[in-house]
Amino acid sequence: VVPVRAPELTAPADGPYSFSSQPRSLPPRPKYRQQSNAAETEKGPVRYGNIMIDPRVVRGNVLSVRPPPPQVLGTEPHTLEVKRQRRAQKQILARKFTREQDQPGTPEPVEGREHVHVQTELYLEEISDRIIEVDGECQTDEFLDRPPTPLFIPAKSGKDVATQIKEGELFDFDIEVKPILEVLVGKTVEQALLEVMEEEELAQLWSHQRAFAELRNAEFAELQRLEEQDRRIREEKERRRLEHLEKLRKQKETAEKIAARAFAQRYLADLIPSVFNNLHDSGFFYDPIERDIETEFLPWLMSEVEETLQKKVLGRTMLDSLIRMVVEKRLDEFSHPPPSAQTKAPAEEPGAADAAPKVSGEADAADQPVAEKEETDQPVAEEEPSDSTSSQLEE
Amino acid sequence: MAQPRISAYLPPDIDPTKAALAFGRRALPKLNEELQSPELLTQQRALMALCDLVHDPEKVYQAIALGFLDSLKTLLVHQDQTVRQKTTEVLSIMALHSIGREGLIRSGVISALTGLLDDPVDVSRKNTHQIFDMLAKLPEGAGGVLQAGLIPPLVLKLKTELDEIQELILGTLSNCLRVEVSEALAAGAVTVLKEKLSHPSTAIRSKAAWVLLEISSHAEGKIAVCKEEVIPVLLSLLEDTQPEVQVSSTGALMFALVTPQGRSSAMGAEAIPALLTLVAEETSKARLNAIKALTLLAELPEGRQTLLDHRDTFQRCLDDPSEAVQRAAEIAITVIDWKP
Repeated sequence: VVPVRAPELTAPADGPYSFSSQPRSLPPRPKYRQQSNAAETEKGPVRYGNIMIDPRVVRGNVLSVRPPPPQVLGTEPHTLEVKRQRRAQKQILARKFTREQDQPGTPEPVEGREHVHVQTELYLEEISDRIIEVDGECQTDEFLDRPPTPLFIPAKSGKDVATQIKEGELFDFDIEVKPILEVLVGKTVEQALLEVMEEEELAQLWSHQRAFAELRNAEFAELQRLEEQDRRIREEKERRRLEHLEKLRKQKETAEKIAARAFAQRYLADLIPSVFNNLHDSGFFYDPIERDIETEFLPWLMSEVEETLQKKVLGRTMLDSLIRMVVEKRLDEFSHPPPSAQTKAPAEEPGAADAAPKVSGEADAADQPVAEKEETDQPVAEEEPSDSTSSQLEE
Repeated sequence: MAQPRISAYLPPDIDPTKAALAFGRRALPKLNEELQSPELLTQQRALMALCDLVHDPEKVYQAIALGFLDSLKTLLVHQDQTVRQKTTEVLSIMALHSIGREGLIRSGVISALTGLLDDPVDVSRKNTHQIFDMLAKLPEGAGGVLQAGLIPPLVLKLKTELDEIQELILGTLSNCLRVEVSEALAAGAVTVLKEKLSHPSTAIRSKAAWVLLEISSHAEGKIAVCKEEVIPVLLSLLEDTQPEVQVSSTGALMFALVTPQGRSSAMGAEAIPALLTLVAEETSKARLNAIKALTLLAELPEGRQTLLDHRDTFQRCLDDPSEAVQRAAEIAITVIDWKP
């Protein structure tokens, strides 16, 4: 037991060493694997192992340089193995050495003789390197059924005693069997009844269903018949309705046609007279003689009349101018002569005035026989305006 | 070693073909496990035991709640024919109970059974058709059968199968065709049924006529029936001796005569006398249907003329105990007396 020295954790700050970590003694390798929880819970005083017997410490000459074992990649196990081998070899050598020193051996054989190993026991033994091995087998039997237990007949012991039961002594079979029989028969019959009832129930259900099906079918057929009837009636109605509509339509068409025809007739009845009237009015139908008269005769007549009137007017104008001349001359004449001529002048004048109407009366009288006195017409026409001018002059 | 068996000799009345049943509530779960075991013998024995148990409705309820139907469905496609046969037997007994029927429809056993229609063993096929028949009596079952597209194969089977299976097929078809008829018509059901109407067996004839009834209750069915000229055959069946045949054929006529073509072909085939004989019989079950058929014919002018002479037959029908017959007779009399 090495006295435990407290590790000096704190290095002297001004020490000459330059180790990265303080040199320390390693705790020994425990013999047994530590349980993980034990190591955590219990960290007792740290025990240091004997450095002299620590296998981890390199022994021997440290100063001479040993060549490192050949290192290949990932050779850690190899190095360990190599180390182990070396150690083992050394141990063997060491043991051999010591053993040879312990045991005194037999002396060497004399010249000419040879030592031979000999077995001196009672029984010779073959010594060989190979150990004689013999294989032995052992096997339990296949599982067998347990054989049936043999009938166990216990040995007879005790006294033999016999007894005899006569008929009718124990019980009356007929009476005893009755309840059992009743139960048996009753159960059987009950079961049978149940089965029969089940079948009957099923049969009833099917017959019920069948009856219902019949009724349903009958009703359904009735329904279909009524449907069919309804369909027929509806179709018939529809056809009749269409026919009626057609009839109405035709009637309406005919009525319209008639109305149209009547209206057209009435309209056209006026057409011809109105057309003729229009044409007549616009002068398409003309009496040729009337036309002739109108277009030729009357203009000619009018022109002739105009001519005649112009001539009359001319005549009157001439007459007027004549009268004027006369009157002027007379005026001249009477203005110079003595006033006796003045009474003549007024008498002349009325006479001229009388003469004028007389002339006009003559002219008028001459006017009437128009066809004969054509030449006087114009002077008459001229006279009348000149009459008015002369009368105005006088006034 | 200790064994549950006490002696080497088995008890005297045990059935070696059945599995041992566990006690009480544990019986069915244990059978379920045995059904799923890989060994054939275990499965067979479990099925045998199940067949006996399934007669009890409580056991059926428990079985369905435990999910037996899934294991039974997988067993339907087993190679061994005994397994298949017994499975179909179990399912058919289950279908006898209402809970069983509902469970079967819900778990889609119908589609799983389609593969068994061609099974070589007769009993399996018979059980399969029994299941279909039972299920088709429910409306959801009929819908399920229709959805599984079973109608064309069933119509085909009708030509080739044994007689008793044919009866079952006809029963299934009649219930399914009540709902929808187009698939069957596409598969040519009317032709097949027309042949069956002349089958020697009574049950087949009456069931075939019933299927025709269901077909002609639909509009396209009526057209097909008139086209295939089934009406004369049905009329010939009216003189059949068996009452069920008479009932079914009058029922089929009752529906087929709604269409105008049907009526004209019936008039052409002299339907009125035959129907009148049926109406006149007091105890005939076909009375109701015959009265309905005659009502339809009375809507035709020539029919009305003929029936005016037989008015008293209908009067007598008014005394029939059945209310439906009385009503039908009243309606018939109204139609006969109708004047445009």
